[in-house]
Amino acid sequence: MRITESCSDLLSNPLGGNTAAYLLLIKYRRRYRSCLAVDEMGETSSVENEFDDWFIESLKIYNNIHEYQLEHPTRVIEWTSEKTICVAGYSSDKNEILELLLPLKLFTDDNQGLCAERDFKVVHGGFSDGSIHCLKHIPGTRCVVTNDGFNSNLQVWDLGGEDCDVIKRTGVLQLKSASSDKGVKIAPGLTGDPCVLHGSQISDIQLTELTSGKPLYSLGKDIPDLLSSLQFVSGSVFLACACNGDLYVGDTRNPSGLQNNPAGGREGVHWCMGVKTDLSSSDPSSCSVARLSSACQVVVSDLRDLRAPLFQAQLHVQRKTTSDDFMKVTWAPALDNCLAVSGFDGMVRIYDTASWRPELMEFQPLFIHRGHMMSDDQFDTSSAVVTTHVWHPSRPRTVLSAAVDGSVHVWDWVDKATASC
Amino acid sequence: MAREVRCKTVEEPSLVALAKTHAATPSFKNKTASGSHLSNVHLCISSSCFLSGAGQDVGRSCILVSIGGKNIMLDCGMHMGFNDDRRFPDFSYITQQGRLTEFLDCVIISHFHLDHCGALPYMSEMVGYDGPIYMTHPTKAICPILLEDFRKITVDKKGETNFFTSQMIKDCMKKVVPLNLHQTVQVDDELEIKAYYAGHVLGAAMVQIKVGSESVVYTGDYNMTPDRHLGAAWIDKCRPDILISESTYATTIRDSKRCRERDFLKKVHETVERGGKVLIPVFALGRAQELCILLETFWERMNMKAPIYFSTGLTEKANHYYKLFITWTNQKIRKTFVQRNMFEFKHIKAFDRSYADNPGPMVVFATPGMLHAGQSLQIFKKWAGNEKNMIIMPGYCVQGTIGHKILNGQKKLEMENRQTVIEIERCEPGCCHLSLEVKLQVEYMSFSAHADAKGIMQLIRMAEPRNMLLVHGEAKKMEFLKDKIEQEFTINCFMPANGETTTVITNPSVPVDISLNLLKREMALGGPLPDPKKPRTMHGTLIMKDNSLRLVSPEQALKELGLNEHQLRFTCRVQLQDPHSDPDTLSRIYTHLKSVLKGYTIQHLPDGTVMVESIVIKVSSSAEEPNTKVLLLSWSYQDEDLGSFLSTLLKKGLPSGLSSM
Repeated sequence: MRITESCSDLLSNPLGGNTAAYLLLIKYRRRYRSCLAVDEMGETSSVENEFDDWFIESLKIYNNIHEYQLEHPTRVIEWTSEKTICVAGYSSDKNEILELLLPLKLFTDDNQGLCAERDFKVVHGGFSDGSIHCLKHIPGTRCVVTNDGFNSNLQVWDLGGEDCDVIKRTGVLQLKSASSDKGVKIAPGLTGDPCVLHGSQISDIQLTELTSGKPLYSLGKDIPDLLSSLQFVSGSVFLACACNGDLYVGDTRNPSGLQNNPAGGREGVHWCMGVKTDLSSSDPSSCSVARLSSACQVVVSDLRDLRAPLFQAQLHVQRKTTSDDFMKVTWAPALDNCLAVSGFDGMVRIYDTASWRPELMEFQPLFIHRGHMMSDDQFDTSSAVVTTHVWHPSRPRTVLSAAVDGSVHVWDWVDKATASC
Repeated sequence: MAREVRCKTVEEPSLVALAKTHAATPSFKNKTASGSHLSNVHLCISSSCFLSGAGQDVGRSCILVSIGGKNIMLDCGMHMGFNDDRRFPDFSYITQQGRLTEFLDCVIISHFHLDHCGALPYMSEMVGYDGPIYMTHPTKAICPILLEDFRKITVDKKGETNFFTSQMIKDCMKKVVPLNLHQTVQVDDELEIKAYYAGHVLGAAMVQIKVGSESVVYTGDYNMTPDRHLGAAWIDKCRPDILISESTYATTIRDSKRCRERDFLKKVHETVERGGKVLIPVFALGRAQELCILLETFWERMNMKAPIYFSTGLTEKANHYYKLFITWTNQKIRKTFVQRNMFEFKHIKAFDRSYADNPGPMVVFATPGMLHAGQSLQIFKKWAGNEKNMIIMPGYCVQGTIGHKILNGQKKLEMENRQTVIEIERCEPGCCHLSLEVKLQVEYMSFSAHADAKGIMQLIRMAEPRNMLLVHGEAKKMEFLKDKIEQEFTINCFMPANGETTTVITNPSVPVDISLNLLKREMALGGPLPDPKKPRTMHGTLIMKDNSLRLVSPEQALKELGLNEHQLRFTCRVQLQDPHSDPDTLSRIYTHLKSVLKGYTIQHLPDGTVMVESIVIKVSSSAEEPNTKVLLLSWSYQDEDLGSFLSTLLKKGLPSGLSSM
């Protein structure tokens, strides 16, 4: 049965026959590895071959790739400036928050060859007693806000300046009506004084001023659906996606107004959302919203009509994890119609939605980043699951991704279409 | 009333009294005698890390450690960024007058990089040091070659004076004592050193320095992930008082070796595909072999047919060294070395000078690595004008070399069109200059193998030091790292600035053996069984003999040392008003004690004394005041408790109504 599955891979893989055949090989090698372990001669060479094959392939499919190994895995990667990101641990006890400076090589455009610097630098670090499930940077400040995934409190952190490398906790924000112990989702305010929108379910979404802790807005409606994603699309309009797939549009200037767009999703399916915002245009209606379900479906709609999908797709993914914790869908900020999906297994898939249609069909990815399954460390890489990914804000095909083994990859893939001509 | 305590020696007075005193009271908990020693770690680096134009960190290492009265210099590096006297450490930090030999017990060099050994001939021959210099065999072999290379560039090419000569390098190397891995070397009666594998370059070592029970580990540069030709650093759980490490890379998260290699292969591949030639200037040993293994491994799989050449003589030289130093490579090379020499390549052939003009793509490894002379420079001059070609610089280049210039993006070079640099310098200036345009693609790649933030934690976990010392960093930018180390390992972390001294107080634990008899006796006295969490006092005699400490029973100590026991008796007078005759008073005392001290042996002896166990009681009175009795109590030291009790009891007087029978 597995073989037929692999054969369908072979036929439909957009990367071409070779890649798929290679995938098939990997599958077999993986299975063989346990048998080969008995035969000492073959064991090392088989595993090494597999890595070497990918290594050779990577020469062609990536312009650049960097692989880092954090001491503790992260499920957040957040940009804190053009050149720095924040990562943080999510283990049950003590964790670290790190602000990392991206290597110079990723920022020099001329004479990139003369720059040998390819390491991350830890510029700031701090300790958190709790797990970090959610971390957001507040634009225009040196603040990040975190949540541990178990209660509704938000921790506010000062990332520190030039003279000190310590990240310090400066305060705690509480939900006015804390109703859940499921943790909260956070969306930083985009304009005006530093503020943060947060909530654990639709009914307790509130906007809090960062410096005073004063609630500026809270929703007056009793909708106990759990929140899965939250994001501002303009200075005051925000989108909230419930775990059941329902989409809500709110406006912080109008506490009583909330527009509900039921998805009519299936029972027991978990949804999350990715929004493509164009902050340069004042009209938020051009926003594209992609919703990803735990059944590996993506539904794309825009703010003009959130009820009817513009187009949708069934993704071909074999889930390696039953948890919906790491599900993530994001739009490429500097590339048209592209979105990235991760959280089901050890891969990050890039899709071009240009060919998608209103009716549900299966589509193949434009590119697959398989690097997290190919780490040569002692981890059982076949069970690697990607925890999160983010796009580089300006480099069109550069993505940062992290996995449960603590690996963080920065990769810039080759666009087949432009490479061939 | 007044209690008088008097010492009485029963036998001949001598030193034996010492054996009776409690010299130490070891507890079950940590068998530790108190006492603290000082370990000083002085740092004599006068400038912080320096960033050269090419962006590589080239500070210099020179650390002075004082431990148990011994002074050791760790590394003797040169600052690659300076051309004046700032390039060498300021040795006047160590001693204002007198030679270094009198102050230093030894010098240890961790590896052959110039920022760790470049000032060695200056220190030993020009400042003056004649004591031992320790380094591993590979370092000893490679270090003089690098020093000579550097001397040539500095003196012969740049014409600097006040620099060491070739003879000085030779004389300096005569003072070197080679080290083997894991071999304990006795520098003198008290000072011993031991080298551990550091994996940074061929022959790189970490060293443990030990004086008595105190020890320091200096890591030098080390690498915690094995690469194609070296293994990972390793150290046992040696629990040094101080672990000294570089902080330069402690705040980095390293890109993987695989991605560095991928980048290298990609660049080579692209150039060869478009028909260009690739020049890789290398130093004969180390990185060159690593990159050759890499190309050899993937050449066929990448479907490549272009020839790869290795510059003349290099292969033989490298093979020679690697045969000598095979123990310093990684396990895979060591394992396959017996069947097949990893360095006998299938695709890589010896280079001939004429090949450089051959048409079509090729890859050439050539020495020297900094393009300052020789074959690499010749080939560079031939290929520089063609933009299809590429030069890959896999390492750092010293200022003033062509390598350094092109890494700084210089596109036009003033060249001397001659074979060797030395000849040119002797020409009239300007007589044979040629301008060379650099059109070929220049790539700078760092393959240096350093442990990063994670690696440093791994090493601390391995060695379990009591204190951590990070050198070469800016303290205020490493607060987080310090906190992290202190919290995770509950140890102190110090970050002295250059030129600053850090003093660490050590608390050496002194193990004491306890005799089984003494333990059994202690057990027989009852009480709970020894519990590691509850310290307990016990009595015994501490014997310090032949470098060992033993706690035994006093009897055994006397027997072992062939000494007689001294007896210590306390005598006490108690005045008592008792209107009876002396014998009657004694009887009354006897009766009184009999009723109070149940279960004790109390005797009324015919010689006019009462004995309670071993305590003697006599009664006397003066003729003038017959009712004022003076009681004489005498007890041995062992019965001190009972004796004190009795004297206190009798001071209270005798109850009335006692019979005097």
